[in-house]
Amino acid sequence: MSALALRYDLRRDGRTPVFIEVPGGSTQRLRLPDSEAKTRLIGAVLATRVAAGEELELFGQTVRGLKRQDRARLHDRIGVLTRAMGLISNLNAWENISLQAAYHGTHPVERIARTARDALASLGADPQRFLARLPDEMDPFERKLVAFVRLLAKEPALAVIDDLGEGLNREQSARAARFEAEYRARQPEGTLLFVDLAEEGLP
Amino acid sequence: MIRALREVEGGLRLFMTVALRMGALRRAPVRESFLRQVYFTGVTASTGVVLRASGLGALIIAFTMQVLDADTSLAVKILLWVVLREVGPLAAAMVVILRTGTAMSAELAMMRISGQTDALRSMGIESYDYLVVPRVAGVMIATAALTSYIQFLAVAGGMILSPFVIQASFTELYTQFFDLVAPVDFAYSILKSLMFGFAIALTCCYHGLNPPAFTQNGVPQAVTRAVTQSAVAVLTINAVFAYLVFGVLFFGLVKAVA
Repeated sequence: MSALALRYDLRRDGRTPVFIEVPGGSTQRLRLPDSEAKTRLIGAVLATRVAAGEELELFGQTVRGLKRQDRARLHDRIGVLTRAMGLISNLNAWENISLQAAYHGTHPVERIARTARDALASLGADPQRFLARLPDEMDPFERKLVAFVRLLAKEPALAVIDDLGEGLNREQSARAARFEAEYRARQPEGTLLFVDLAEEGLP
Repeated sequence: MIRALREVEGGLRLFMTVALRMGALRRAPVRESFLRQVYFTGVTASTGVVLRASGLGALIIAFTMQVLDADTSLAVKILLWVVLREVGPLAAAMVVILRTGTAMSAELAMMRISGQTDALRSMGIESYDYLVVPRVAGVMIATAALTSYIQFLAVAGGMILSPFVIQASFTELYTQFFDLVAPVDFAYSILKSLMFGFAIALTCCYHGLNPPAFTQNGVPQAVTRAVTQSAVAVLTINAVFAYLVFGVLFFGLVKAVA
């Protein structure tokens, strides 16, 4: 088995190619050249599928041509916090956090509840009140917090966080910066990947 | 025309999918969603129909006896045919279309437009299992329950309230009713209301998950289509069902005049 958690290769006509290798157990901050490259990388990891011109290996296993069961197994080891966050608006924070695990029956609900309580408390939220709120009643940081705790509840060996600072003010960004320590405390052997766009100069 | 054909095809596909996937109710979040749907459709709607349903029964008896100058026997027969067999299931279906159908189609259209159905898919959650199956099953059960509730209130209300407004005896109404009513009347209306619930939920889920536009304007359009087509589906089922039961299948078993 390869020591790489992720290997991604994107070749496009007339645009900067992208080649990424992320060693297992590390924390990496990727700056991709354009939003198309970022969207394609996040989409490929999220779906564990690749389109033409892309190659993706996760934990040494190429995702092209994977059988359904192998793909699902690989998918279980990955957590992605996307920009859209993917929260369900008619479910409260707790239901959003526990939905995936409860649906698939992968993790006991008690363990998810413990993870959620501890993570929220250590990130400065009151679990009792926070977990009963709907996403529409939350500010951008709080929504991000729900999506992050949902990611933690999945206990992923590879966590990908897209544009962590997007839509957050300075104070909220400082609180969001603690996500890294929180993930690392729970998954010491896990791989954490922050994905952002490279800053472009003014024309 | 092409759109209508596409909608019929989509509806049939959804029908098959839902019928084959009822096993998804074993999963805890799907079951929770199902119970929530039953509560919303059946329990919260029931308080509003108490007065209307009991008033309806009294109105039918009073109208038949006072205006048409009929005797107690005919008044009870009309109460039985109209309320128990036809108006009860239809009234419940209309309450469900107006309260639940609108809410359900708007909610699903919003979820589809805002990308929440994609989010479910990315979590490995099949949106038909999580969104459609519990709604269809929940609305079916709740429509049948609401129908029974309306029937009970209309019949009991009619028999209890009528003696206060017209010259009719409660004992006479009561005796006549239990002489005429047969178990097949209840089976007929419950089966019909289950079919109404299935058609309403399926139509609303289909339009909610397939809004005509992927903008906010798509939500009211989806709701309008869902409500109008649900009403058409209910009236069509009612007509076909009545024809099959009274005209073809059990002719002689369920008689128009008992």
